[in-house]
Amino acid sequence: MNKLLRNPLWIILFIAPALALFTVVLFIPICEAIYYSFTDYKTLYEKHFIGFDNYVKLFTNDAKMKIALKNSIFFMVFSCVTQLIFGLILAAILTNINKGRNLFKNIYYLPCVLSSAALGLMWMFVFNPKLGINKILESWGILEDCADGPGWLFDTSGFIILPIIVISFVALWQYVGQSMMLYMAQISGISNDIYEAAAIDGCTKRQAFFKITLPLIRPMVATAMSLNAIGSLKFFDLVYNMIPDKYLGGKAYVLATHLYDQAFKFSKLGYGSAIGVVLLIMCLVITVFINKVVKVENYNM
Amino acid sequence: MENDIVRNKKPFKPVIVLLYGFLILLALVYLLPLAWVVVTSLKDDTVIMTSPWALPEKVMFENYTYAWTMGQMGKALLNSLIVSTATLILSMIIGAMAAFAIAKLQWKLSRLTLLYFMIGMMIPIHCLLIPLFVEFSNMPLLNSILVDHLHLFSEKLSLKDTRIGLIIPYVTFSLPITIYIMVGFFESIPNELFEAAVIDGCSVPHMFVTVAIPMARTGFMVTGLMSFVNNWNELLVALVFLTKEELKTLPLALSKFVGPYHTNYTQMFAAIMIAVIPTIIVYVLFANQIVDGLTAGAVKG
Repeated sequence: MNKLLRNPLWIILFIAPALALFTVVLFIPICEAIYYSFTDYKTLYEKHFIGFDNYVKLFTNDAKMKIALKNSIFFMVFSCVTQLIFGLILAAILTNINKGRNLFKNIYYLPCVLSSAALGLMWMFVFNPKLGINKILESWGILEDCADGPGWLFDTSGFIILPIIVISFVALWQYVGQSMMLYMAQISGISNDIYEAAAIDGCTKRQAFFKITLPLIRPMVATAMSLNAIGSLKFFDLVYNMIPDKYLGGKAYVLATHLYDQAFKFSKLGYGSAIGVVLLIMCLVITVFINKVVKVENYNM
Repeated sequence: MENDIVRNKKPFKPVIVLLYGFLILLALVYLLPLAWVVVTSLKDDTVIMTSPWALPEKVMFENYTYAWTMGQMGKALLNSLIVSTATLILSMIIGAMAAFAIAKLQWKLSRLTLLYFMIGMMIPIHCLLIPLFVEFSNMPLLNSILVDHLHLFSEKLSLKDTRIGLIIPYVTFSLPITIYIMVGFFESIPNELFEAAVIDGCSVPHMFVTVAIPMARTGFMVTGLMSFVNNWNELLVALVFLTKEELKTLPLALSKFVGPYHTNYTQMFAAIMIAVIPTIIVYVLFANQIVDGLTAGAVKG
């Protein structure tokens, strides 16, 4: 009966292109990257195996790596927390209104599909100390002179510098629609019977949200959070386009820009690979961590 | 709506007004910056320093002409279109074939193969940049076979600074999610349809084209839009692989507008418009499919 569907010729022909491409362009390079990270590979030089030297240097003797780690971890924590809160609030509101739900949903999601490079340039102008927001504050009389206002993208004082905080808010603005959508999809999947039963028992709307909705969307919280965490660790476009003058003397480095500079500006391919491997491990660890801590087994709905 | 009974017990409450007020305010936070990009892109560059937020006195379409020709945005638009479309078509064909083999053809290793492809969803592109850069610049293996041994080409081949060199990684990175989503769609097609096709004397490729593809149209829509939007906006890979001006894609071409000493903002904003208008058009046409599709994709990723 199903002999045809077992014909190895067709199986091989159908699976081969994807399998070959995936193996050659993704799987083998990953292995190569791990190998390079243990060498002193530089463009045009012979590479030598140097064991864990790159990693030792990364974590003990690299000031830029420290900054990059600090900023990337800040991005990650910030985006996990704020996207959870704002994403949930928006999803809760939008699932509770009847008129204009799709309109608002589509508006909030719009920046997710636009180019971060383009939006980054736009926000760079908005936060320009002499032109953007400061000029508005000046015309409203809040600031005497726009040049005295906060140096949104230039101020390098503090543990977490202001430009990094500004960029985290821009990223929140751009990507909160994604979390909102994930939560909305999950909330609208909750059966109406549960809410009805709760209402009969005298449950208020607020109680219903905290006692019914929240526990039931917990698996989605885990998914959305891992996505945010990985997305913010990989963060590159906004930082690359919004921070002028080479990341403010390196103070605005994130992991991705550090990797890019080391590998493609200074040609240290081995060292860059080590940063890549650290990034990969961080992504894996954080995903496992979030799924262990946040995720619970699916409730029977 | 589905939850009317519980959610709208008391239809006219001040809370509702407040909620809509909040939603509209937030919508403005999303739309005003974009509207302001449109306004600024039509302004005279000399006015921008004195009154950056005012409406233009005379409309300057010259900014667009400049961005399109001198700023090479026209060329970049064409490049992005070629690369994104080619990636879209290739990743859908290759991905759908693999997904069909995994979902409907019967062989022992199909689940394991799916798991193998899923590795790709965990890996940040950043880790692959360095090994792919090395491979694509020199292609030692391919060159030694094709040039040194078979003498097919007189010069050494290189994929760096070619469109193919960008399309190959884009297709590969799109494959895991495409395969994952398409497997889901193909699995939901009842087996009886394929059995009937077998009885009718249908061959496997014929079955794939006449039964599987038409039944999974939504899946193609979802994966297609996703891969198109992602690759249209991709910056990091393009930054590493393309140095030639005439090949640069939109996100790359944009960064040229930020000069170290003087930035012509009106022309930059015209360039931003050229980069985002195509995505906005696609988004307005397919907003609901995109939002649902990208959400579905994100959940699975």
